[in-house]
Amino acid sequence: MNIVVCVKHAVDESELRADPAGKPQLQGAQSKMSAFDRNAVEEAVRIKEKKTGTVTVISIGSGDWKKSLKEALAMGSDKAVAVNSGQSLDALGTSYYLSRAIRRAGPVDLVIFSEGASDTYHGLVGPMTAEWLELPFLGYARKLDVGDGSVRCELALEEQEEVAEATLPAVVSVVSEINEPRYPTLLQIMQASKKPMEEVALDSLKDERVPPVRVTVTDVQAQALSRKRVVFEGSPEESSKKLVDALRRDGTI
Amino acid sequence: MTVVLSYSEDRGLALELSKGASLLAATSGATASAVVVDGLGETAPGGHVLVLKSERPLAGDYELIAGALAAAAKAKNSSIILIGATKQGRQVAAKLSVMAGMGVLSDVRSLRMDGGRLTGVRGVYAGRFNATVTTDLPCIALVPAGCYQAETGAPPEVEELAVGNLPSRVRHLETRPRSKGAVDLKTAEIIVAAGRGFKKKEDLALAEALVKALGGALGSSRPLSSDLGWLSEEHHIGLTGIYVRPRLYVAVGISGQLQHVAGIKDSKVIVAINKDKQAPIFQVADYGIVGDLYQVIPALVAALAA
Repeated sequence: MNIVVCVKHAVDESELRADPAGKPQLQGAQSKMSAFDRNAVEEAVRIKEKKTGTVTVISIGSGDWKKSLKEALAMGSDKAVAVNSGQSLDALGTSYYLSRAIRRAGPVDLVIFSEGASDTYHGLVGPMTAEWLELPFLGYARKLDVGDGSVRCELALEEQEEVAEATLPAVVSVVSEINEPRYPTLLQIMQASKKPMEEVALDSLKDERVPPVRVTVTDVQAQALSRKRVVFEGSPEESSKKLVDALRRDGTI
Repeated sequence: MTVVLSYSEDRGLALELSKGASLLAATSGATASAVVVDGLGETAPGGHVLVLKSERPLAGDYELIAGALAAAAKAKNSSIILIGATKQGRQVAAKLSVMAGMGVLSDVRSLRMDGGRLTGVRGVYAGRFNATVTTDLPCIALVPAGCYQAETGAPPEVEELAVGNLPSRVRHLETRPRSKGAVDLKTAEIIVAAGRGFKKKEDLALAEALVKALGGALGSSRPLSSDLGWLSEEHHIGLTGIYVRPRLYVAVGISGQLQHVAGIKDSKVIVAINKDKQAPIFQVADYGIVGDLYQVIPALVAALAA
C-alpha cells in the first residue's frame, strides 16, 4: 500500500501579531505543520502499520518548511518530498503542483489530506488535487477503512452522515476527530533525520496544463476588536446581578 | 450578456445566494440565474431559475453537481458562479475550478466588482485577520450564510437544461441524518456554550440550567464534543464546527482558543465566565465574570429569575 500525505507548513496563527498598521508580522513569525495535517499523517501511518507499505509525505513551501516534513517523518512516514515553491500560489496552482509531485513519486494507492489548513481553512486543495489526478475524492472522513482495492469512509457532513466508497487509487480528506496524533519520541525524531528527503524545484514539475495564478491577496488587515471588555468584580451574586443588569439595559435579554 | 449563477444544496443559503447573484449581476451588466438540480423543490428562489436535469439524480454527489454546473456555465456564458460555502459546496467548487480553469474565492463576504475582477473579504489566521482577495472572471465564489437577505415570494421563471449523463467516481452506500436532538445553533438567538471548565459530564446540568433560564440553546467548545464525547458534534462551535451568530453568546469555562473564537465572532454580545483572569476569552468578550462556574452559574440563574 503506497500512501501519500500532503501537509502544509503554516504560520502559527496563535503566535501571529499585528504591527501598528494592523498588518500581520509574518517576518520572523513561527510556522509549524498545520494542526489538522497531523491527523492526516497519523491516519496514513496507522494504515501502513496495519497493511504494510510506505508513507510518502509531500509539502510545497519555502523557508523552513522542511521542519513539517521532518515532523511527519518522525511520526512514522518513510520518505519526504519537499517542493520548493519560491512563488505564491493559489489553491488551483498548489493542487496542480501537488498532483504533479504525487505522480512523480510513483504508483500510489491512497492520498490523504486534512479537511483544511489551520491558517486559511479553504478546504479546496484536497478535492482539487483529486480532480487534477482524475481520481475519486471522499471528503471529511471520520472513519476510514481500506479494503482490497477500495476505500470506504464514514463522512461527517453538516446535516447528515454518509457512508461512501471508491475504488483505489483514491484521495480522501480526514476530519480531526478521526484519531489522536502521536507525539514522536526523541529516538524517532533522531531517526527521522536519516530518512530520505528529496528537494524538488517547482518548475521541474510543470507540464502544459499548468494553470495561471488567478486568485491574489491584495491586503491583510487585523480584525478590529469592538468588544466592550467589561469585567464584573465581586462575589458571584454581585457580579451576576451586574451582568444581568447590563444585559437588560442593552436590551440583549 | 453574461450570467451570474448561484447554487447551494442548502435551501436557505440558496435563497440568500440568489439575492447575492442579482446584486452582482446588476453591477456587472449581467443577468442572474438561480440553479437547482433535479427539480424545483418546495422553496424555489424567485426570478430566473435554471433546473439542471440528468438521467439520474444529481443531488448528493458533488461530482455530478460540478459536472452539471460546468455544463450550465458553458451553455449560459456565466461570469460568476456563487456556491454556498458548505462541505459539499467546497468540493463542487474545487472540481468545477479545475474542470473550467476558474479561480475560487472561498468564504468571502462583501463581494463586489472592482475593475472587471471579483473582490471579496475573508477571515484568515483563525479569523484574527481579514484578507482582501480578488480573481479574474469567469470565477467561482464560495459564500457563507448571512451575507445576503434571502428573498422569497417572486414567482420563479423556470428554464430546464438537460446536462446529459455525467460520470461520478464515488459510490454512495448510505446516508443518515445526523442526530440533531433539539439543537439548532445556527438559528439560536441565545447560546450558552460549555468548555473544559466543566469537570465531568454530569455537571453539564448546570449549563442546561442556564440555557433554560435564558431560553437558549447549548453549544460547546471542541474538546467536549470530540475528545471527551460528552456532547454530540452538532454542539461543536468553532473553525471546524459550526459558525454561530446569536444575539447573546455565553462562554462558560471556555478559555477562548482561536479556533473556538473564529466561530463566535459574529455574535452580537459575548459574555465570558471563567476562573482564569488571563483566559483569552475575556479579550473578545463584552462582559466577563472572573469566577468559579460552579458558583457563578447558580448565582446567575438566581439573578435572571429576580
